[in-house]
Amino acid sequence: MNLSNNVEFVESLTAAFPSLENSFDTLKITVKSSDWIDTVDKLKNEFELTYFSWLSAIDWDNEVAIGDPPKEPVTPHFEILCCLSDSFAGNLVIVSTQIDKETPQIPSLVGVFAGSNWHEREAYEMFGIEFINHPNLTKMYLPDDYEGNPMLKSFELISREVKPWPGEVDVEGMPDDGKEEGES
Amino acid sequence: MDENLNSGSIPYVSEASVSVEIETEDMTLNIGPQHPSTHGVLRLVAKVDGEKISSVEPVLGYMHRGYEKLAEVRTYPQITTLVNRIDWVSGFANEIPFIAATEKLMEIEAPERAKHIRLILTEMARIASHFVFNGAYALEIGALTPIFLAMEDRERILDLIESVTGGRFHPNFNRIGGIKPAAGSGPTTKKNIQDLPAGFYQDTRDAMEKVLEAVERMENLVGGNEVFKIRTKGVGIISKELAEEYGVSGPILRASGVKFDLRSQTDFLPYDKFDYDIPIGENGDCYDRWYVRLMEMKESAKIILQAIDSMPSGPLQTKVPKVIKVPKGQSYVRTENPKGEMGYYVISEGGLGPYRLKVRTPSFSNISILPVLLEGQLLPDLIAIMGSLDFVLGDVDR
Repeated sequence: MNLSNNVEFVESLTAAFPSLENSFDTLKITVKSSDWIDTVDKLKNEFELTYFSWLSAIDWDNEVAIGDPPKEPVTPHFEILCCLSDSFAGNLVIVSTQIDKETPQIPSLVGVFAGSNWHEREAYEMFGIEFINHPNLTKMYLPDDYEGNPMLKSFELISREVKPWPGEVDVEGMPDDGKEEGES
Repeated sequence: MDENLNSGSIPYVSEASVSVEIETEDMTLNIGPQHPSTHGVLRLVAKVDGEKISSVEPVLGYMHRGYEKLAEVRTYPQITTLVNRIDWVSGFANEIPFIAATEKLMEIEAPERAKHIRLILTEMARIASHFVFNGAYALEIGALTPIFLAMEDRERILDLIESVTGGRFHPNFNRIGGIKPAAGSGPTTKKNIQDLPAGFYQDTRDAMEKVLEAVERMENLVGGNEVFKIRTKGVGIISKELAEEYGVSGPILRASGVKFDLRSQTDFLPYDKFDYDIPIGENGDCYDRWYVRLMEMKESAKIILQAIDSMPSGPLQTKVPKVIKVPKGQSYVRTENPKGEMGYYVISEGGLGPYRLKVRTPSFSNISILPVLLEGQLLPDLIAIMGSLDFVLGDVDR
């Protein structure tokens, strides 16, 4: 957990990255995609965040094939997230950047953290994001001839289309919907 | 050479003839996906030069179930059922970070008693998971006995988990804001809520005694074995820097000498109330990884015994709305799973289900180090190294 996101660390980080937000104990830095590698490199070398936790993406879109769309309309884009941590105090930072959906390209982090290799491959096949200079940008889980990017919001869950999820009964038609009432 | 011939030592002649390097072609060896040592359905495509591995390419996806996508069409209470099945060897421990992230977004907190029960069951899941490792690893090295002992010992732990939750592998016991009323405690009305089953405390104490005994026995039986030592000491060394660069976590990271345990930084489980050590290794080899896990079982048993003694009374559930809607927000919560850092990044848009759920699993990052680690190793060591990483394919593929 981020209990030990201590005050000193947060202060020094805020000085370097004014975009720092702290929501629900999760520190998040938003940068331009042109600063992507430099930011991660700086966090690794200057803030001792040497532990690479994960990298992933979010597809922000108003038209969704599954689930609910965002509450407020958004400009469609991909958000790329990279989570770094240290290995002594438990400080944790999530770096975020945006790229547009027309040309989903971003430089690969493999030069900074070799461990991002597999995470980038996963984001590549699930979202169709191209990581420039990645040594081996091939599919991770899906068969080689698979078409489409399953994690896109426009990608339908076919089994759900054919047979609705039985649990949906629980979701709809609850008489007390919205009332703040305790269960017991 | 002349000198040798003169002195009459002939063997040198024959040795000269074999030490000539012959150009050979690398052979491609396919291991898995149905190989017993791959813990499920991992496939490795290895290029071997004789007994030496020149490169390895893991092929994943045989167990890919798309949980991140499925989570987008489920409500929050339904997702706990899914996350149970990510790492099936320690199902209970998977639920905790997801529930904690959701509770954080809803700004509610589980009652103290529920937190204690969660902690006890998490540690039991850790012991059960490490028992599987201890048995299976010795088996992979070539010792048949430990797996039977370990499975018997693990069964005691699973019985306890079952007595509380009703499930051995997939408890699905956590609820947002607390825990489900326990399974084995007789019929009750809503007012008189069910609690831990009768005799749970004493059964747990007995079982923990047995765990401590089992750890000692395992230490002598496996750790004292010469073959085991030769097969594991100095094999598959992971340096601290390499481990961090690849996001390797948990006992593997600690075996490389990094004293980093997320349990000490947790605010949703009361670990700070208890006394325990964080075992670390020195060399980062297979033996250390085995030893760190063995010692962790001891520490887990110690934590459970303390938690039983200091169990607070009180409710098991905090008040939550009947229909759970999570306010807009993003939160990442990670915990120390038996296999390493397990985290959930919940992105809520205020609906009944998450807009996106990123699942960070320990085994995925842990085995991403395999191509680097196995390069240049001998083929028989491949089994020893792979086994020491203790991965579960459900945890790799999600």
